Amino acid sequence: MIGLKSTLNVIDNSGALLVECVNILKNKVNNGWGSVGDEIVCVVKKARPISAASQASVNAVKVRRGDVRRAVIVRTRKAVRRPDGRIIRFDDNAAVLLNNKREMLGTRVGGLVSSDLRMKGWGKIVSLAPKVL
Amino acid sequence: MRIEKCYFCSTNVYPGHGSAFVRNDAKVFRFCTSKCHKNFKMKRNPRKVRWTKAFRKAAGKEMTIDSTIDFEKRRNVPVRYDRDLVQTTIRAMKRVGEIKARRERAFFKNRMAVAKAKQRAHRQKTLEKAKVSVMLHEPMAINETPKIKEKIKVPSKTRSALVQGDGRSMGMEID
Repeated sequence: MIGLKSTLNVIDNSGALLVECVNILKNKVNNGWGSVGDEIVCVVKKARPISAASQASVNAVKVRRGDVRRAVIVRTRKAVRRPDGRIIRFDDNAAVLLNNKREMLGTRVGGLVSSDLRMKGWGKIVSLAPKVL
Repeated sequence: MRIEKCYFCSTNVYPGHGSAFVRNDAKVFRFCTSKCHKNFKMKRNPRKVRWTKAFRKAAGKEMTIDSTIDFEKRRNVPVRYDRDLVQTTIRAMKRVGEIKARRERAFFKNRMAVAKAKQRAHRQKTLEKAKVSVMLHEPMAINETPKIKEKIKVPSKTRSALVQGDGRSMGMEID
């Protein structure tokens, strides 16, 4: 249940740590709330400081505080019902940042993600995640 | 398909029932009902809550060491379907269940044998206490003395500024 002003932890290595949701991209039935696998527009509220070494490299992604980015939700605190009937709930709300082509900004995912992602067409994130539940 | 155990009360959780909570270190907690889930959220220890299996086992109220318990186990190796194997397994399950029930009854009887003597002693104690309290209810001896009314003489001529008398008014005296 992600809506306006919800904050999410970022679990990739893009550099952002905490983002705030400003918009949930419309799909047919979300009733204004975002769940696992939904795309959102968010503002970076907290980011890792950019070191000089990483800045020098060519393909360094610079995510700064105040940036507006797209992201996909990977975990929610709100319990979600799976098609097989089980109900699953996570400890926090988490997201992974995306670029304009709906590809991941980072190269790694650190932390578990919901297996609902594969169903919604985010197989890349699922394959990168260390644990899928 | 797998029948899980509830994290809090250790009852069976069948598919489609209950809910699961996944901690960020990927540990999965399964709950049979919202009651168990709520108790977990209240950070209660299942070993200290009297209605859980964990408490009953910890307090010695149920069989803990028995060979019949070891049959129910989590097996992570899938077994290829075999008609004969299923038949023998089901027969074995029934037999194990019978034996387990008999042993549990014996265990309960054994446990209650001690409890009976304890209860008898407790009843005796309360009975004695009741006897003592009966004695308190006896009526007290009354030694009444006849009351004599005494008249107290009050001096009739007392001067008071508040009382009008002797032809004087209550106003201030002015010469």
